[in-house]
Formats: sequence, C-alpha cells, structure tokens
Amino acid sequence: MNTWSAAVLIARKDFSLYRRDRTGLLLGLLLPIVLVAVFGAVMKFAFGGEGGMPRVTIWVCDQDDSATSQKFVQALRQVSMLRVLPKAGQEPRTAEQLRQMVRDGEAHHALIVGKGFGEALANATEPQLTVVRDPGRAMEVRVVGIGLMQAMMSAGDGNSMGWMLGSMMRRNGMSEAGVARMRSGMEVVQGIIGMFASGSDPELRAPDAKSEDVKNIDMSSMFEQLVPVTNEDVSPPARPKNLAYQLAQSVAGMTVMMLMFGLMACSSMLLVERDQGTLRRLLVSRAPRHALLLGKFLFCFIVGMIQLIVLFAFGEVIFSIGAFRDPLTLLALAVTWSAAATSFGILISVWAKTTKQAEGLSTLLILVMAALGGCWFPIQMAQLPWYGEAITRSTLTFWAMEGFQGMFWHQKSWTDPVMLRAMAVQWGFVVIAAALSWRLWRRRFVGT
Amino acid sequence: MTEPADLLVVDELRYAYGERVAVKSASLTCRRGEILGLLGPNGAGKTTLLSCVAGLLSGFEGKLTFDGKPFTPADDSGGRARLGLVPQELALYADMTATENLEFFARMQGVAAADTAAAVQRGLELAGLLDRADDRVSTYSGGMKRRLNLAVGDLHNPDLLLLDEPTTGVDPQSRNHLFECLQRLRESGRTMIYTSHYMEEVQRLCDRIVIVNEGVVIGVGTTAELCKLAGSEEGNLEQAFLAMTGRSLRDES
Repeated sequence: MNTWSAAVLIARKDFSLYRRDRTGLLLGLLLPIVLVAVFGAVMKFAFGGEGGMPRVTIWVCDQDDSATSQKFVQALRQVSMLRVLPKAGQEPRTAEQLRQMVRDGEAHHALIVGKGFGEALANATEPQLTVVRDPGRAMEVRVVGIGLMQAMMSAGDGNSMGWMLGSMMRRNGMSEAGVARMRSGMEVVQGIIGMFASGSDPELRAPDAKSEDVKNIDMSSMFEQLVPVTNEDVSPPARPKNLAYQLAQSVAGMTVMMLMFGLMACSSMLLVERDQGTLRRLLVSRAPRHALLLGKFLFCFIVGMIQLIVLFAFGEVIFSIGAFRDPLTLLALAVTWSAAATSFGILISVWAKTTKQAEGLSTLLILVMAALGGCWFPIQMAQLPWYGEAITRSTLTFWAMEGFQGMFWHQKSWTDPVMLRAMAVQWGFVVIAAALSWRLWRRRFVGT
Repeated sequence: MTEPADLLVVDELRYAYGERVAVKSASLTCRRGEILGLLGPNGAGKTTLLSCVAGLLSGFEGKLTFDGKPFTPADDSGGRARLGLVPQELALYADMTATENLEFFARMQGVAAADTAAAVQRGLELAGLLDRADDRVSTYSGGMKRRLNLAVGDLHNPDLLLLDEPTTGVDPQSRNHLFECLQRLRESGRTMIYTSHYMEEVQRLCDRIVIVNEGVVIGVGTTAELCKLAGSEEGNLEQAFLAMTGRSLRDES
C-alpha cells in the first residue's frame, strides 16, 4: 500500500464519519454564515453613522508651497482624526505620484493643494483643493471632510467660515444676493461665537456653564462639507459599485476567522483517535505512519475548502461582494488559506496532550490572531508602533486578509506581487508547520 | 528451506519511560502455532512488552527476531503487516458499522480491494455479527464490541496475533465465544501471544505461559512446569503465580 492510497482511505473514512453528525455539520456551516451576516450588517451601519471615527490616513501634496499652504498642511497634521503623510521631513510626493498610489490601492485619500492657495485664502475666495479618493471608503470621505474644515478654519485665522459657508450655499443654489446677506449676518454670528469661546464676554455664558463645556464645542459634524474641493474618484473598474470597504473587510475577516474555528476539530482529531484506541491499531497496520498525519490533513483541508466555498457563495448572494469575479484567484487564495489553517490545526493537534488543551489553545490563538490580523476591524487604521506592526504581520490571519482584501477590495489578481507575497508567507507557514508537526507526531504519537 | 520453529524471539529486551524502567529484562520465544500466555500483575510490563513487539514503542534495548530475521517493527511496515493487534481498549469507530470498520481496517492492513469483501465476511463470521453487520458499533453490547475488536485484529490473516487482555469487561457467554474463536484460530495455525490477569483463561487457552513480574520474566513453561517451579503440588496456576510474584498489591501500569 502506498502513502497516497492509505491517506485517501483515511480521509474517506473521516469524511464518512463527518457526514454522520448532521446537526454538527449543519451548525458548522450555519454558525459562520450567521456571524458573517450579523457582523457584515453591523459594520456597514455602525461605520456609516455618526459614531466614533477612527484615524484616517491622507496623503498630501502642497503645490502652492506658500506660507499659508504650509500653515494649512501643518493644521491638517494637528487634526486628531487624520494621519497626514508623508510626515514632516519625509520626501514629498508629486500630485501624479499620489494619483498613482490611489489607483494602486496603496492610498485611499490624497489631497492636492493647488497653486494660488495662499492668495485665494487671503482674498477670501475659493482655493484650489483636489481630493483624489477611493469612493468605496465612504466613512473616510466624511472624516476627511471634517478634517479639512478644521484645518481651513485654523489656517484662515478664523476668517474662513464666511466664505466657506457662502461657497457651500452657492453650490446648493443660493443666489449671490442671498450669499452676501448671509455672509454679513455670519460676521456678526462669528463675532459672538468668538467672544463666547474665548470667554471675553461672560454675559454670553449661562450661569451654570463650566469652562470645559465651552472647550468641548464640536460643530464639526455640521460642517463636514464646508470646504469646497474637487473630487477625483478612482476605483478599480471591476469592483461592484455598491461594495463598501467595511463590508468587504467584514466578509473577508469573518471568513478567515471562521474557517479557523471551523477547523478547530482538526486540533483534537488525533487525540480522539488516540483516546479511543484506534491510533494504536492504525500504527500497527501496514500503512506508512506519516500517511495517518497526511490523511488527517487531507480531510481537514477538504472540509475547509467546502466551508470557504459556502461562505463566499453566501457573501456573493447576500452582499454582492464579487467573490467569483476571478475564480482562479479565489481558488488560489482558498487553497492557500485552507492549507494554512489546516496546518495550524494539525500543529495544535500534535502539540496538545489532551483535547481540552487543544481546544483551549486553538480558541485563544484564533481569537488573538483574528484581532491582530485585521479580521475584526481594519488594523491598518490603528497607529501601531513598529513592534506592533511586526506582531501584526507575524500572524497568519494578516496574510490571509491581505490576500482576500487584495482580491475583494483592490481587485488584484493572484499574479500581483502583493498577492503572491501574501500566499508565499502562508505556504511558508504550511511548510514550517508540517515539519514541526512531523517531529511532534513522531515524538508524541508514534513513540520514535 | 525449513521455517524456524520459533516465530518470535525476544532477547534481553529493556524499555524505560524516561526514568521509570517498565521492562528490565525480558527474554522469551513464541513457537509457531502456539498460544503463548503472558501473565503478570498490574504494572508488570506486559503491555509495554507487547507494544515493543508491535512497533508502538521503539528505542528499546535488546533484540527481536521474527521468523528467523532481525526485526525492528517501528521501522518495518512490511514486518508489521504480519502482526495483528487486539488492543485492550475497544479500538473501533463507534459511529461506523461493523462492516465499515472491517472494510477500513482491512484496507489499512493492505488487504487488496478485491479481497476485502471476503475478509469482511470472514471477520463478521468470526465475530458472530452477520445479522448485525450494518448496525453502528455504538449500538452493540460490550461482548459484541469485544468480538469485533478481535475480528478486526485478525482480518488480514496475520502470522502473529497479539492479544492484550481481550476479554476485559465481558460476560461469561461472550468470553466463551471469544475462547471458541481463539481456539478456531489456533486450529487454523495462528500463532498468538495472549496477555491476561485471569488464570483460568490462560490455563485453558495457552500452550505455554510466561510470567512477568516488575519488568522481569521470572518463569516460562506449561502450567505443570510452572507449578513445579513454584513448588505448588496441586497444579494450581494461581497459587503458583502468587508464590512467584508475591501477595502485595501492585500499581497500575
């Protein structure tokens, strides 16, 4: 008997056993579907609302390079919701470079401060500002709008509100006479707000108002569209129009994480086989001993593939994520992730001495890797120190997410270097995990 | 060329689990066609000895010779295929039927696909389970499971069948059926090593008996020879066993 026929026999036997427990089978498929549906919906609505907003990265090119534009960019850097790149002192990028970065998916927002910015502000007229953006990043669009307004107010020394409001009303159809009347009224209002905020006129405050209340005035949510900008929307042509970033992220994240949970049974299969005594019998049999390990791998790998296909089909039907747009890439990613997740399960299985250990460790590692790898939320938004980045990148889930997000969001093909790197890292793990599993298997189960 | 009379020779075997020496020194021979009883108190090293022979443990000291050739079972899948193991635990898939269990293990033992059906039929007959062949093992009684456990070990007609306390937890009827099965196998020429705590089983079934105590073989022979060795005039194996191994309680292995 050769290794493959023995491995196939083992996998077939395990398959037969797997199908017996219909409730378990149904739950195994239903649980991730329910979670994907719930998380997908929650993320979609939660991030589309007025709730807390994460820091958004925006690349800036200052073509004006005047004192005012520099002050504006500096003010932009002070906005807590934004991370402005390149950092001060780093090499500046040209407008064309930024456009290319957005096209390539390396950036989702870029601001080009046009020539004459300083002069326009001095004359209280509309400056030339262009935002090159990925339109699917709806949440970031709003954050950037608010950030621009805050920076503009700061750079204009408080004199920008009038023309910005005027500009906005003009865009919404107000006549010039109406704009002029509004601006004269605004000047009075602005003066009153200024006196109130600075505390120079105590009569403006309510008797029970505290100084903290004044400092915490936040009218930003009202003014996120105040700054007039020219938007250039850049997105991959094949991406479904209604696909939001958070949705793509949720479906990919939940799929990556739930496959690992789905394969948790892998981590105790050998222990079950040992505890029921069948492992001794199999070890005495004619079958090559490594075929037993390979058979377990085969079974889990196929189950993983089925789970992935079911999940992506569900994601496609309910959310139209474009999962089957590029079947070859999807297949390459699914095979890679299923192999990596299975290797992880098998490694736990040969390491653990009891089923409880195996389940405990699997759960812990899966949840930690899911959080660090970006399955729960876009980890790229977090401002991690270098070691945090290193830890994030050392998780298997990060690379799985890199691949699936590369396909769903950036519409990359499997031949793209980013995708190849993501898959290569996972296959590297498969090889290392296989070598370690083999050693542990021999030491702990075979007794050699 | 004639076959050697001794199918298995164990020469000065020693095995330790870390610091704990389970088998200090074991030498025995198992003759072709005989049932060799391996008798000893709990923790005597019987299962360890059997595991070394079956290739479940390696790194032991000493030498094994099987059918006249040096034998390292852990590394020799061809040699292992000539062994059959009936482990102490019920090594069966409870959610599979008897037929499915027999088919699977037959294939794992290298029985050709074309011969599997015949092997399964033989196994079902040996276990007396022809009428329950398609029921899941989880629905069987303890005795039925024990019989199937034996049948699975003998599926591929092994030259040497290793039985590790195969009657544990069964009622007298099932035990009797198992004995009849083993006697039929002996009549067909099967060589067996049989470990047990039960003196009457060993006395009834085995041609010769090896008594192991604290990892050392302390006596080999027929019941009469062992009784004589222990100074038991009445030919009572239990008395001879207690005389040789002592009356103090033993730890579980």
